[in-house]
Amino acid sequence: MIAQTKAPFSARRQLMRQSRKPLKWQDVLSYAVLTLAALLVLMPLLWMFSTSLRPLADSYKLPPQWLPTDWRWENYLAPFESNVPFELFFLNSLKIAALTTLGQLITCSMAGYAFARLRFPGRDVLFMLLLASLMVPGQVTIIPIYLMMAELKLVNTHASLILPGLISIFGVFLMRQFFKQMPQELFDAARVDGAGHLRSFLQIALPLAGPGLATLGIITFNATWNGYFAALIFLTSWEKMTLPQGIALLTGYMNSGNPSVVMAAVGLAILPVLIVFLVAQRWIIEALTRSGLKG
Amino acid sequence: MLSPKRSEALAGYLFILPTFIGFAIFILYPLVESLRISFYEYSILGDSYYVELDNYSRLVNDIRLRKTYSNTIVFTGFAVFFNAGIGLLLAVFLNRRMPILMRNFYRSAFFFPILIAHTYIAVIWQYLYQQDTGVINYYLAFLGIDPIPWLSHPAWAMAAIIIMDVWKNTGFAMLVFLAGLQSIPHEYYEAAQLDGANERQLFSRITIPLLSPSIFFILVIFMIGALQVFDTIIVLTDGGPGDATRSVVMYIYQQAFQRLDFGYAAAISWTLFLVIMAVTLVQFLVSRRWVHYE
Repeated sequence: MIAQTKAPFSARRQLMRQSRKPLKWQDVLSYAVLTLAALLVLMPLLWMFSTSLRPLADSYKLPPQWLPTDWRWENYLAPFESNVPFELFFLNSLKIAALTTLGQLITCSMAGYAFARLRFPGRDVLFMLLLASLMVPGQVTIIPIYLMMAELKLVNTHASLILPGLISIFGVFLMRQFFKQMPQELFDAARVDGAGHLRSFLQIALPLAGPGLATLGIITFNATWNGYFAALIFLTSWEKMTLPQGIALLTGYMNSGNPSVVMAAVGLAILPVLIVFLVAQRWIIEALTRSGLKG
Repeated sequence: MLSPKRSEALAGYLFILPTFIGFAIFILYPLVESLRISFYEYSILGDSYYVELDNYSRLVNDIRLRKTYSNTIVFTGFAVFFNAGIGLLLAVFLNRRMPILMRNFYRSAFFFPILIAHTYIAVIWQYLYQQDTGVINYYLAFLGIDPIPWLSHPAWAMAAIIIMDVWKNTGFAMLVFLAGLQSIPHEYYEAAQLDGANERQLFSRITIPLLSPSIFFILVIFMIGALQVFDTIIVLTDGGPGDATRSVVMYIYQQAFQRLDFGYAAAISWTLFLVIMAVTLVQFLVSRRWVHYE
């Protein structure tokens, strides 16, 4: 055990010694630029966190205190005790994001599997049709969708957000890529064993598609959790609204809300994203780079 | 009993059925229907009237639409330029030799804002941008700069939106460029160095051409996204002051869902669709001249 851990460690140390060359001015410049950029990126988030722990009276105080000066964790309870139903916003967002994600995992993996591994007449034409529709901006389709939901008396229900989200062309494309990479021999062997298409899909393809499903799940959940445009259009009463709408409500007209409490609410809204990011960072980065989807 | 070929085809159709039901209801039908609505004076309660091209002739003379288009184009130009430019700069620096822990730290820091909703970011920046109590003006005062009316002056409000957008999105460009840089084989640089190339030549003759597919991809994605800007603006300035920062999508939203003028809004949305298609097409055509695929 000790010998096992020792070997790579000393190898790494050797590597580091090799790379220890004299610092050039370019190195100094690049570290300076990167550090400055990292500071600029992190400071608004740090300000949010520090402000969220302060009493109201100190939240606008200058000079700005970047580190927490108080530890009023009760600010994080204040959104729940405010005059808006914050816990409902949280639950609504969770429900919409969870159901949308579940729906897309099912529909996208099925269609992705068919386009990657099954042969049927018109397959390529149908796939091209889907891909072409990626160019259609959501603003063009949202008006007829709204009128349709109005007709069906679904405006101001969560169904109006969930139903259109149950499919995703991007998701089909992503899952197809994952299924395409699997070796054909696996499926040939299953067929020899008498497995039907449904069984090949459920028992061979899906278990191997874990990383793909996780990627699609994370991207969809995050996008739905953060979604604002459709929620703003469809959800009109407080008890139906989602978290981004709720935080806009807490902020109040002309920023009349308590900044400390608003920052605490923002912190709570970002928390799930932060946790997923810390746990699955490497995956997310790889998936986003490969798929090329903006978050 | 079906033949194997036919049962495979049947399975294929059944597997894509859920997606195509959704596709038909939520993409194909709305696309056609929005075009139809754009020829109507559409009313959600009463009767709708076929008005031929009235909505389209109306938008030619709509000063507010012109303003929102020019806002959107200004935003798109600056946001794409700075997002891609700063992203490239950061990626080039990150691609230099450095301890892996450092690289991971920087990469995570630049990347994290992508995952946060525009809405939340705008709420935070709204406080930072305050003229008298805001953190940004406080530090600018040290440089001898008078308090900037970030959100209440037309040009500064647009600048505020662009800065916030770059803060949030440049990390995505950085990520794609970094992946592109890391896939360039080291041998190319070594061979060029043996031939006596200097750093600038390495960058312009090797890095840029080999990175051009990534650059092209980022330009297309960011441009399409920027032309549809909505979330970024609505919380920070709500299109104000006046219409100074109102985007085309915000205008569509206002016409459709606040004025209930669905026909006109649908016509505007089709102009945006055509603009996005045209811009994308032009980029693909121009790309043949400068993008190198191996």
